[in-house]
This record gives sequence, structure tokens and C-alpha cells, in this order.
Amino acid sequence: MKIRFWGTRGSLPTAMTADTLKSKMLQVMEQTNGKDLSTPEAREAALDALPFSVKGTYGGASSCVEIDRGEGGFIVCDMGSGLREFGLDAMRRIATEDRQTAYSFFISHVHWDHICGFPFFIPAFNPASELRVHGGHDVEAALLRQQDVPSFPVPLHFMQSKKEFTQTPMDTPISIDDYTVTVRKQHHHGDSFGYRFEIDGKVIVYTTDAEHKLEDEEQLDAHVEFMRDADLVVFDTMYSMADAISIKEDWGHSSNIVAVDLCHRADVKHLVMFHHEPVYDDAMILKNHEETIRYEELLRPGSIALQITCAYDGLEIDL
Amino acid sequence: MQVSTDVRDNGVVVSASGSIDHSSAAAFEEAAVPAVKLAVDAAGLLVVDLSDVDYMSSVGLRVLMLLAKAGKVDTVAVVISGLQPALQEIFQISHFDKIFKIYGSTEEALASGAA
Repeated sequence: MKIRFWGTRGSLPTAMTADTLKSKMLQVMEQTNGKDLSTPEAREAALDALPFSVKGTYGGASSCVEIDRGEGGFIVCDMGSGLREFGLDAMRRIATEDRQTAYSFFISHVHWDHICGFPFFIPAFNPASELRVHGGHDVEAALLRQQDVPSFPVPLHFMQSKKEFTQTPMDTPISIDDYTVTVRKQHHHGDSFGYRFEIDGKVIVYTTDAEHKLEDEEQLDAHVEFMRDADLVVFDTMYSMADAISIKEDWGHSSNIVAVDLCHRADVKHLVMFHHEPVYDDAMILKNHEETIRYEELLRPGSIALQITCAYDGLEIDL
Repeated sequence: MQVSTDVRDNGVVVSASGSIDHSSAAAFEEAAVPAVKLAVDAAGLLVVDLSDVDYMSSVGLRVLMLLAKAGKVDTVAVVISGLQPALQEIFQISHFDKIFKIYGSTEEALASGAA
């Protein structure tokens, strides 16, 4: 099974500027100066040795995460701008890997950054596609509104795929496409919903756009149980701890510190930092990742390390 | 985790020891928050002495933020003293080093408040 990250940025799709790219190229030249660059292999090795913030980028597409068992239809969390790339890749896999034209979506909430990719989701124009959309909100109304005139030239009904919208029950495990899915309501403006997926003996939790009130022990305990023993948790780590409980309190997001603490309490194996602050550049996100790893070391309750990955657009994790 | 409160000439000192995590943060909050009013009455600053605290998780940091907010309302300066290296790192990672003035010792903190 693979977890693919098609969009990892929070709040707003964020493009790299020409100045940023030039800065990266200058850093590459400086940091590879004097290295062996005589062959393609040597050049690739020299690049591989550089920090990710220099040789790569975390990307700027907004939330879209796929859980892929490599067969059948597709499972997708959220429809942020990363959905466009996912749609193109899904069509490629349907053409080359005998995959089904069936898509099950799980929507955290209907803020723009989590649905803005849908008008550009090409498979939705295919009458043979079957889309099943699960969410705690009325997602159909949100998509209709998003594509209504004068906001967008193509109305939802012009996308001729079969569409089924379901408001999922809370806190009670349900069976969807061989998965056991548990939905949890989260604290966010207008609410958001986290999803716990259980399949093939693995547990994946997608919990983004959620603010965890540290004074509310009952809710904290419930969220710990929601994430209990997960193999992988995708967690909103948008702000610093100080910001999240001061100037950005009630903005509906969480921090790397709370992510690690809750994962420790829940005996999670692998934390994926997600929903990156749009004003952060790659160097800041990398620093945040490194500091999160260090915090985990400092607070680790036993001898087993919590694996921590910082999501980027295009990341694949084998599970 | 143990907490004590000491009223000094220049302010009030709350001293904690041990680990402050989800099992002890409530006790820390219960003991520390009333100290803000004591500092108001003493017309001094509130020093949170963490020199005997080996680690602090998010719920402990939240209590410190409560003290900072209460201090802002009551115009009492809330400062930190005596951070061990691990706690210094936690403050830096959480950006709490941008919220609080941090002093090497309680005496240094009290002296700064008197200046």
C-alpha cells in the first residue's frame, strides 16, 4: 500500500517565485563547488547530498492525499489543488494498470483550499467515472456553489461522471470499499472531520485542519483514541506551538508540538507533518521538520522512536 | 511534579520540579495561576523557576501561556528562570522563547524586575 501526497500546503496554493528558484540554484552552485561533477552519476550524488530545501521543494498544492492499494478504484482525502495532478495520474493508471474508474473521496471540510481542485479534476468529466463523496458537510452544495456563475464557467452538472454524495455518521466505524472508516468531528471554523482508515491490518489517520484545545482533556483523550496504534497519521502542523495558542488561537490549526505529544500518547508509529503554512519557504519547513524530530527525541516516553516525515507534493510512503 | 510559591521583595516566585506533561499539567496550573494575583498584590513580577523541571510537553507550555495572558491582563511581568538545556530547546522549538523573557537564575530575574 502507498500513501501519496498530491497537495500538502495549507490554506492557499502557493507557487515558487523566480527569485526563489534563482536562490536555490545559487545555493546548489555554492554547495557543490569543488565536488566531483564529471559524470551524470556524480552530479546526481552531489545533488542528493544537499538539504531537501535546496535540491527540492515541499511544493505548494493544497490538500490532497491518496491511499492506494494498487488495485481497484481510488481513495482520496480532500480535493485541494493537488487533485488536478492526481486526476491526470489516475487516468494514466486506468489506461496502463487496469484500474477501475471509481473514486471514493473523504472530505475534511469544504473550505476553498480543500475543494478548489475539483473543477480541474478531469475524470469528473468522464461519464464512465463513478464518484462517491463522503463528508460531514453538504459537499455537493459546496461544489455547486464553487462552480456557479459568475465564479466559474463550468457548472457542476456539466461534469458528466456519476456522483453520489454521502454525509457520513460520526464515531461509528463504517465499511467503505473494503476499508473500515471512522469519522471524527474536529474543532475548526465550521467544523472539520478526521478519518481513520483500517485496511489489510494497517491503520491510517487523516486529521487536518483541527485545533486541539489543550484544556479540554475529554476531547484530547478522544482524539488520542481516534489515532490509537495508527501506522501512519497525517496531522495538521501548520503553526508553531506559541502561535497556535496565542495570536493564532481559534484559527483552527495545530502545531508540531501537539502532533508529537498526541502521537506519543496514542502509540502512533509514523507522523506525517502536513498542511504547511503558506508563508513558510522551504528552508523554514525543513527547519520545522528537524526541530520536530528533536522535540520527539527530547519527549520520547520509551525507547521506540516515532518516525516523523514532512510531507511534500509528490511524496510516496510505502506502508 | 512539585510546585511551590514564594513571595519575595520584588515579586513572586513559582518553582516547579519534575516533569510537566498530561499527567501533571493540571496540578501545575492549579498551583501556578493564583500566583499572578499574588504578584499583583506584591506589585512585583512573577518568576517561574523551571530549574528543576527536566521536561515539559504541550500541556505544560499551555499553562505558561495562561500565566502570560493573565499577566498581560493584570499588567504583571511573567518571566522564566533557570531553564535546563533540554527545556531551552523545547522553548526554542515551540517559539516560547519569543513569548517570555528568560533569565539564567531567579535572582537575576528578580533583580531585572526591580530595575
